[in-house]
Amino acid sequence: MNNFNQFKKMFSAQLKLTLREKQAWFWGIFFPVILMVIFMVIFSGSSDDEFKSEIAVVADNPNPTSEMLLAQINQLPILDVKSGEPVSRETADQWVKDQEVDAAIVLPESAEDTSFVLVVNKEDEQGVTTQALSAILDKMVQQANLAAVRAAPTFDIQFESVTSGSNELNYTDFLLTGMIALSIAQGGMFGMVDMVEMRRKGLIKRLRMTPAKMGIFGLSDMVMRLLFSVVQILLLSLIGVFIFGANLFINFPSLIIVFLIGALSFNALGYLISSFSQTQNAYMGVANIVSFVMMFLSGVFFPIETMPDWLQPISNILPLTYFAEGLRDSMVYETGLFTGTLWFGIGVLILWGAATFILGSWLYKRKSIVAAR
Amino acid sequence: MNVLEVKNLQKSFGSIKAVQDISFSVGAGEVFTIIGPNGAGKTTTLEMIEGLVTPDQGEIHFGDMNWGNHAVAIKMKIGVQPQASAMFDLLTPEENLDLFATFYEKARPTEEILELINLTEHRKNQVKKLSGGQRQRLAIGLAMISDPDIIFLDEPTTGLDPQARRHIWDIILELKKLGKTTILTTHYMEEAEKLSDRVCIVDQGNIVTIDTPSALIEKLTKEREVRLSFLDGESAATETAIFADNLNSVSRTEREGEVLKLWTIRPEDTLLDLFKFTKEKEYQVEQVSIREMSLEDVFIAFTGKEWRD
Repeated sequence: MNNFNQFKKMFSAQLKLTLREKQAWFWGIFFPVILMVIFMVIFSGSSDDEFKSEIAVVADNPNPTSEMLLAQINQLPILDVKSGEPVSRETADQWVKDQEVDAAIVLPESAEDTSFVLVVNKEDEQGVTTQALSAILDKMVQQANLAAVRAAPTFDIQFESVTSGSNELNYTDFLLTGMIALSIAQGGMFGMVDMVEMRRKGLIKRLRMTPAKMGIFGLSDMVMRLLFSVVQILLLSLIGVFIFGANLFINFPSLIIVFLIGALSFNALGYLISSFSQTQNAYMGVANIVSFVMMFLSGVFFPIETMPDWLQPISNILPLTYFAEGLRDSMVYETGLFTGTLWFGIGVLILWGAATFILGSWLYKRKSIVAAR
Repeated sequence: MNVLEVKNLQKSFGSIKAVQDISFSVGAGEVFTIIGPNGAGKTTTLEMIEGLVTPDQGEIHFGDMNWGNHAVAIKMKIGVQPQASAMFDLLTPEENLDLFATFYEKARPTEEILELINLTEHRKNQVKKLSGGQRQRLAIGLAMISDPDIIFLDEPTTGLDPQARRHIWDIILELKKLGKTTILTTHYMEEAEKLSDRVCIVDQGNIVTIDTPSALIEKLTKEREVRLSFLDGESAATETAIFADNLNSVSRTEREGEVLKLWTIRPEDTLLDLFKFTKEKEYQVEQVSIREMSLEDVFIAFTGKEWRD
């Protein structure tokens, strides 16, 4: 039988195996859907009734323009100026860095200067507060423009940030992409439990007794898993978009790359777990711990920025953080394939995938000496 | 013509010498059975021949093929039923057979195999719903799907009830009729005796003896165990023992209470002499028996070990 026919037969067997495995359906389809619906119902829709923000104001060279703007800021009840008066640029920057204030507003340095700067912490740049602040300032600038139409031609606002999305991110979009990332990750991490079962039952050994091409067998298995993940993406996206009104702006090349690399990486992680788990229960125990940690530390349900500072470094090494970010970039921000941040995340995922796969293979090889007895 | 030749196989796992020195050859169409206690090295020997475990030393030849140069060709020619019946539990027997058929260049029709292993009725049930005997039959079916010349069956009947065991015996005898070579390991002496052309007894990684079952038993039937029990109690048994010790056909005697056991190479002569003696003394003999010799005795005689199933 030629390779393609062998692949077709193996794939059809894999398809049947997956369709008949109730656990796969529960954890891969039912569980993420329920989880997403619960979170969306609880957290989206409701909005803050009262918005209040603490800011710093910098006016190093008091001048008529800056004084006028300062007076305006003081009048706004929702803006609370820290220490009640302007401070130096250094102090303001420090406060922003330490997140003691939500933002600092640097007023024009002279009456002729027409711009002022909104300084925010990089971590907060996608936060709701920042967006609200920039909108408020925008309004102020417009008003100032109208008022000072003769004194100065224009004022403009400069929004300082490093990356910026072309579209706004609301919680529904955030959660949807996070859930997709989570379910694909879990598919990979939990799905490899088959390997433990196949090894325990001697099925891998059995296949090695036949002239079956194990490469083709592995490929058919992988294609099946990827297909299952595509079903997850479609199902969650449809529910998110049509029931909860998520907005998706998809860049398909980026999405395909992020999806493939992410799915393969998490399968590699599952493969590693399978290499040292003797029983199905042992595997599930480890996979549950890993998945639980990642679920809450990788910005699936809430932005990482909302977590305590000391936890954030942990989030910054977890692969799910980058997978979720990558999916957000490619599904919500329409980030193109040639973007540095996208490739940084992909790099981290590749690193995780390669490291876990190599370690897993090594453990398999080492154990096969014992397993052969 | 020998289809399989094994020379001086050796294999150690760490400090344990699983196989010390095993050599044998198997002719075409033969049912060759390897018996031995747990840990004797049966499975390791089979796994080396099946290409799963690389021997530390020794040679394995399938005709003019060996694992180093003809691995795929050998795999095409052999069928293996491993000890743990490994198959896809969520697939049906039919689907399992179909899948395994794709691994080989040529395959027998699935229906034919299902017929042979008597699973036609269950061909659409998932394997996880099958009984132990049905699973085992499917495992043998999977070993036969490629219509191999040589079939390895590693303890195919262990843990099965007598009925299911008999089913498997029928399959093995059927294979023999088809001219297939079968290499079998088993825990059951009765099975080895009934099915095999030749039996190889293995103990502690070495071959103890190889021969046909009848020839092996023949070697032992020179000496049979005779048992007499006396109604007159110990004194009668003791007196008879002294008499029997003086008979030149008797090699030794053993007495436990009123039961006398003796070993003789000519049971008829010995019994005639004994009954003359007891008649004379007017001892009343309650029971007389001559024990049937089986492979089990061959095993005990060769290894000095009790046989445990």
